[in-house]
Amino acid sequence: MDDEARAANLALWNRWTRIHEKSAFYDVDGFLAGKSSLWPLELEELGPYVQAGTTLLHLQCHFGLDTLSWARMGADVVGLDFSDEAIELARRLAGKAGLSDRAEFICSDLYDADLYLGERLFDVVFVSWGAIEWLPDLERWAGIIARHLRPGGAFYLAEMHPFAQTLDDEAPEGVLRVRYPYFAAPDQPVVDAIHGSYADPDADTDGLFAHCWAHDFAEVLGALTSAGLRLEHLHEFPCSPAPFWDWMVQDEDRWWWLPDGKGGRRRDLPFTYSLRATRPAGPGE
Amino acid sequence: MLDDYLKANLAVWDEAVGLHVGSELYDVAGFKAGRTALSAIELDELGPLVGEGTKLLHLQCHFGLDTLSWARRGAVVTGVDFSGEGIGTARALAAEVGLSERAVFVQSDVATLPDKLSGTFDVVFTSWGALIWLGDLERWAEVIAGFLRPGGTFYIAEFHPCVFLLADDATPDDLRIDYPYFMYGVPQRFDEDGDYADPDAKVQNTVTFEWLHGFGEIIDPLLRRGLRLDFLHELPYTIRGLQFPFLEKDERGMQRVKGHHEGFPLSFTLKMTKEGP
Repeated sequence: MDDEARAANLALWNRWTRIHEKSAFYDVDGFLAGKSSLWPLELEELGPYVQAGTTLLHLQCHFGLDTLSWARMGADVVGLDFSDEAIELARRLAGKAGLSDRAEFICSDLYDADLYLGERLFDVVFVSWGAIEWLPDLERWAGIIARHLRPGGAFYLAEMHPFAQTLDDEAPEGVLRVRYPYFAAPDQPVVDAIHGSYADPDADTDGLFAHCWAHDFAEVLGALTSAGLRLEHLHEFPCSPAPFWDWMVQDEDRWWWLPDGKGGRRRDLPFTYSLRATRPAGPGE
Repeated sequence: MLDDYLKANLAVWDEAVGLHVGSELYDVAGFKAGRTALSAIELDELGPLVGEGTKLLHLQCHFGLDTLSWARRGAVVTGVDFSGEGIGTARALAAEVGLSERAVFVQSDVATLPDKLSGTFDVVFTSWGALIWLGDLERWAEVIAGFLRPGGTFYIAEFHPCVFLLADDATPDDLRIDYPYFMYGVPQRFDEDGDYADPDAKVQNTVTFEWLHGFGEIIDPLLRRGLRLDFLHELPYTIRGLQFPFLEKDERGMQRVKGHHEGFPLSFTLKMTKEGP
């Protein structure tokens, strides 16, 4: 990642951390009162692999609410994020929630994770929602995941759908059309001026820019497969944890949907996906 | 209902065989003269796994040009299609080019194939415009897994699901979305004259029922039946045959989206291996 993209994204995520801490979207008070910040989807699909004592590595953990929610379920967790403000907040929240003894937070660029993690192996590696678009290179990303999964361990990813990411986010209500490239272009990030945040559209983010990279399915699956992981499931969903347009509608479980114009929801286009991949156990393991 | 959909689609495909045999797109004369009907895409990716004696099952083989092209490379092939016209023409072609000894053709839809065929294969192959004719990919995956030997390869080259989302009147500068990605088993009904190999053709059977399937719907049922993903490739070009006004031919004879969306995905290939000793 070039220095300009890194600096811009870091400034953005540090600002977003301050905004998100106070947002209804993240509901820090609810978390401290005992609520899980995880989505029912993650609990359903990854929950069965997380028990008391499960070691879990959460890459690009932001300020750690999800990381700590896994810890509260008994896991011994390590959260890693490149934003120093996010990691400081995560550590404070771990203390407040009484989870400091089983939650460790590392401030590091994703690509420098090996420097901090050394040879450590985890039962589970977890990545979710709007993470990989901040990474130019998924081969190196998948290598890090594979190096820190124990044989037989599970990687889980819940992400925005590559097709939905191509749609025009400034289109008027009801208009769906392709605007952005579908295929990955590591040398050509999409650079956008940022207005607010997915968690708080009215927040002040003047002067901040995002440098993001598209990642098609072939690239994601290819990177994981090349790193030696085996795909176990690929699921696609017609709803999203954050709205793609302000005219999407939210349900009682916090998911955002396309409205059908008749008071209901459209279920016909993909906005998110999840996958699980395992590091095969070697002979005798 | 499923039978009604199947009947309508079968009538269209039975009629299409006659049109396609004489079409420039299928170039039967070229095939008879020795040319392969396979595209560079599947030849590059699956070709290395198909050699002398490879047992290959081709699902939804139409009138068998691709099936016979694999046979010409040494494979022992079984082609399957639900159209009696397609299978009859395939058998006649096999005889004409001297491949009858290594090419068997079976008339069957995919779902009921195990009633008509037994045995296992080194390779199960399917391609280009096949999946939209299937309502149930769970059954499809079950049939594929059942006919693959342990260690055998499943390979598909197909149109990208995203291309079927675009509006009929989409233009290179306005790729609007007008069709569903998730169909929950309920087909879309089309009533259109013409044919993809001959858009000006006058056809008697015009009504079809088609299902789009997303990547999760395609890959997940195969994973659950013990196939391991080797690769998924997505390509910004495809073979000829799609009739969209926003496409143009490139220098290799492949189709691409014109203009600044030339990177829009038009096809995908998928290779999976059946686990086992």
